[in-house]
Parts: sequence; structure tokens; C-alpha cells
Amino acid sequence: MFQDFKSDPFMFCIVIGVILFVIAQSLFFLIRAVKRAKALGISNEKIKNTISSSAVFSIAPAISIAVTVLVLSVALGYVLPWIRLSVIGAISYEVPAAENAIEAAGLSSGIGADITDPKIFTAVAWVMSLGCILPLILIPLILKKIQKKVTGAVNKNAKWADIMAAAAFIGLICAFLGRGIAGTGELATNDAGEKINVTIGDGAGILSLAAIVSSILFMLALTLLNKKLQWKWLEAFSMPVAMILSMAVVVLISHFAPGLAAIEWRY
Amino acid sequence: MMKKNRSYIDSVHFYGRIWCLLALCVMLLVPTLMSLHLKAWPDLGIVGKAFAATAVLFYPTAVVEVIAYAPLLGAGGTYLSFLTGNIVNLKLPCALNAMENVKVKANSEEGEVISTISIAASAIVTTLIIAVFVLIFAFNPKFTALMQSDTLAPAFKQVTYSIFGAIAATYFVKHWKLAIFPLAMVSLLLVFFGSIPIGILIFVGVIISLLGAQAMYKLKWV
Repeated sequence: MFQDFKSDPFMFCIVIGVILFVIAQSLFFLIRAVKRAKALGISNEKIKNTISSSAVFSIAPAISIAVTVLVLSVALGYVLPWIRLSVIGAISYEVPAAENAIEAAGLSSGIGADITDPKIFTAVAWVMSLGCILPLILIPLILKKIQKKVTGAVNKNAKWADIMAAAAFIGLICAFLGRGIAGTGELATNDAGEKINVTIGDGAGILSLAAIVSSILFMLALTLLNKKLQWKWLEAFSMPVAMILSMAVVVLISHFAPGLAAIEWRY
Repeated sequence: MMKKNRSYIDSVHFYGRIWCLLALCVMLLVPTLMSLHLKAWPDLGIVGKAFAATAVLFYPTAVVEVIAYAPLLGAGGTYLSFLTGNIVNLKLPCALNAMENVKVKANSEEGEVISTISIAASAIVTTLIIAVFVLIFAFNPKFTALMQSDTLAPAFKQVTYSIFGAIAATYFVKHWKLAIFPLAMVSLLLVFFGSIPIGILIFVGVIISLLGAQAMYKLKWV
């Protein structure tokens, strides 16, 4: 493990440094926001619930992010994908960035084969890093202006601003739901380097629909339970619980009915 | 004296900018340290060519993302989210869920602090969980095989649908009139152009939804 230059002890030291930086920044904002929340009269219970429900909410998606490190680890070892997916990254961006760099170096293997040349490895590291830093330059320049415009719009017509904010998020939700109902999966690359459509479990099908429908039903049931039984403690955790239960449904279908699970109407 | 006069939101911007610059340095330090350590500086031509191909693809999306998500995330939430990434599939739903639970609006100061608290907690937990799992993957091949097994792997591929299903249940019940039009249009679009990348689909979905909401507002339907 440590013999591989991509995952040697020095590389692990780099990742530890990055993790400490992310945690330091998060703690800095967290402590200041908690102080401000108290000054605004938000109760301790609500603050604690926000922290714990957000923590629980993050567990399943975080594990799925960790699993995507595996996709890139074949070519790049563990450390670089780990850093990239802990800071700014998302798998939908990291794979094409890595593939572009590997391809520019003249290799046709993409992210499917181990990179043994340190120069190609560092080229990938540079491209992945440079390719994702724009928000860090953009945000200090334009965020304050955006926030001012939003505040201006809210002050001018609060009802309209509320409707637009809800509509923007609903548009986002619809994009994901639509994809689970009728979207095709990612294209794969065949041996000849051509992009082809294959069933790899990410197109719209039984599993995506099962995840969406069961998650909606669990959430509605939990909301109803909260109202009927007045379980305050459950209220903050309804969403992560519904999410995890619906993932359990997917696991059950995959395990007990693999034939059904493989059905995809868009692939 | 300056510090005392600065409002909370101004101080968020002040420190947020500093953290962004620090993050930029860290981001560039990572490949620099790797290149120094391995004594392997990459060919500039290769990096330039691959960077151009990547930037063409993702820089426009980055601009759209900053403009689209910032009003929903709040200032502190935006500074934090864009450093730790995984915004649309984790930080944004997490923050909106937290604001929904506390019953505060995204564009109020209460919403600002709740969003920041939620995203900070999420970022810490996510970073630690990724660390723990990657270490287990690196040192325990059996566990890696289990996570990639035919039973468990599909669940991780569907996690985004599980998140957005639960969110839809909350939002669509409340705003069902706003939801019907964009959901129908996006699904119809996908029937003909099923492979639209999710980044573009989100952009199209948000525009369709905003146009529909504006029309309904004018017609006094909402």
C-alpha cells in the first residue's frame, strides 16, 4: 500500500493537512453562526437539532461519496481522489477532469488503468486542482453583490421573492426526479475508445423509481406520524430517516429480486 | 473599532473572503507539494491542453452554480459549500431541510445562520466519514468488496434519488401548483433528450420553473 508512490506516507500527510483545513474552516463558521443564532433568540434546542439532524442527513451521502473514491482509485491511488472529493469536488466533475489529463498525456486507458508515471500523475493532480478553483476566485468577487440584489428583491416584494426562491429549488428537484423517471445513464467508453450506452445501473429504471417513490412515501408517513403523535424529536430527523429507509428498499430489491432490479427503461 | 461596527453579515463576507483565498492557496499547494515530493513536474503542454478541455466544460457551469445556489445557501453557507463541494447532492438539500425544520426563510438572517450551522455540521461529518471509509477501503479489501457488492452498490447509486424523493415530499405538498409544470416539462424533455448532463438539466429545470412561477404569479394562481 505505502510502496505505491501515489499513496505513500507523505501523500497521507498532505491529505491530513487538507482535512484539518476543511474542519478548521467549518468550525470557524459554525461557532460564529451559533453565537449569532443565540443572539437572534433561536433556542438551544433548535440549534442542537440543526447540528444533529444535518450530521445524520450527511451520513448516507458521505458514504456514497467515499465509494466514488474507489472509482478513481484504480488509476490514481487513494490520496488524490480522497483530497479532490473532500474539497470542492464532485464525482461528475472529477472523472472528466482526470480523463482529460490522462488523454492529453497520450494514454487511452482513461481512469481504468493504474498510472505508473509520476509525471502523468502530477499532470492529473494539476488539472483536477486548476479545473475546480474558479468558484474560489468568483465568490469573493461577486457573492456580496448577489446577496445585495437578493435582499433588494426581498425588500421590494417579499411574496414574489419567496415564490421565486421556492420555484428555483423546485426546478432543481424536478431535474433530479425527472432524471430518475426518464433519464439515461452516463455513457461508457468501449475498448475502441467510443462512447456507448450500456446498462450500468444508473439509467431510469426500477431502482431509481423505487428510491424516489419509497422516499416520498416514507417522508409523507413520517410527517403524518409527527403530526399525530407529536414526536418532536423525530421531526428534525424525518428526512434522513426517510432517505436511509428508501436506500434499504433498494438494497432489499437488489438482494431478493436481482432480475427486477436490473430493469431499466432508459440506459 | 472597525470590528465592532461590522454587522454579522459583513463579517461573514470579510472572513469568507479570507478563507476563500486561503483555500485557493491550499488547492494550489496540493499539486505543488506532490510535484516537489515526487520530483515530477508535469509537461506544461499536457496540463494546458487538459485544463483547457476541462475549463471549457466546467467553468461556465461554475459561474451558473455560484449565481443559482448563493441565494438559497446564504453567505456563510456559500463560502463553506463551495470549499467542500458536493453542493447539489448534499449541502443544499441539507441546509434547506434544516431551514424547513426551524421554520426560517433562506433570505432572512435567521435562515442565514441556520443554513451556515447546518452546512458546517454537514461538512465536518462528511469529511470525517469520507476519511474513515477511505482508510478502511485502503487497508481492508474485504470491506471494499462488500461495499461494491451487487446488493449494496446499487443503493449508493440511487442515493441522490432517495434525497430528492424525501425533499420532493416536503416541497411538493407545500407548493404543488409550482411543481406540476416543471416536473412535466423536464420529464418530457428527457423523453426526447435522455442523456442531457445533470448540470444542464438543473439549469433548464430552474429556468422552466421560474418562468412557470412568474406566469402563475402574474395570473394570481399562487
